[in-house]
Amino acid sequence: MFEQILFLLSATATIGFTVAVVGTNNLMHACMYLLGTLFGVAGLYATIGADFLAATQIVVYAGGVVILMLFAIMLTGGAEDKKNRFGIEKIPSMGSTKTYIVAGASVLIIAMIVLKMTANIHTANKDLAVASTGNESTVFNIGSLLLTDHILAFEISSILLLGALVGAAIIARPKRN
Amino acid sequence: MISLPSYLFISFLLFVAGMFVMIARKNIVAILLGIELILNSAALNFVAYTKFVNNNLDGHIMSLFIIVIAAAEAAVGLAIVIRFYQLRESVHIDDATQLQS
Repeated sequence: MFEQILFLLSATATIGFTVAVVGTNNLMHACMYLLGTLFGVAGLYATIGADFLAATQIVVYAGGVVILMLFAIMLTGGAEDKKNRFGIEKIPSMGSTKTYIVAGASVLIIAMIVLKMTANIHTANKDLAVASTGNESTVFNIGSLLLTDHILAFEISSILLLGALVGAAIIARPKRN
Repeated sequence: MISLPSYLFISFLLFVAGMFVMIARKNIVAILLGIELILNSAALNFVAYTKFVNNNLDGHIMSLFIIVIAAAEAAVGLAIVIRFYQLRESVHIDDATQLQS
């Protein structure tokens, strides 16, 4: 019963905030709505028994990625309309009506293709109920799996993070003349 | 209600919304925001399948690596955006026409 309520709340939050991200005019508001979407996805993880993943989602996205995006938006002039130095007026946050029509048509085509390709998956797993093993904590098992079976991927991802941070610091540094 | 198709439907909506944002918006930061939505839909799919189909922890580990890669991608992408803004004084995607300034 509690899981059903949590699932309904998380699904509603995810879908509603996603529609808000697509539809809003202000880029700063879109970033805030993205935060709501990420919290909704974390709630979906919690309903499915992935507690460690839900916590990681909130910590990494809400604490890292969304803050980084807010900093980038504010450093690049915020959400207001700007003219660039060629004098051509451009709206930074939104596309024009033409881009919306093109995006709607292509997304419709992609959606039809994906639904067609996954139709047999939907029908095959329609009555696959949740394997009711209870939701015990997954932290211990994930930790031991990461340090035994997936140790190579774990180390490679740490090197990837180091490289990404050093690369970001080098790229964003102003060029000294 | 909590079944595999409902999770797949939510993940599908996230993917479509991310694709829409990537195509329709003209701001580079907004395009990165769409990429985050798409990565989230992929991670949600992994977790849903690993819960309802084979019921082990492989999908959780895959989603963990997806989150790591999303964080790295956001850091590098936003650094490129800030550098581009310093050079061109714009974050419009149509202004990005040269690799070297």
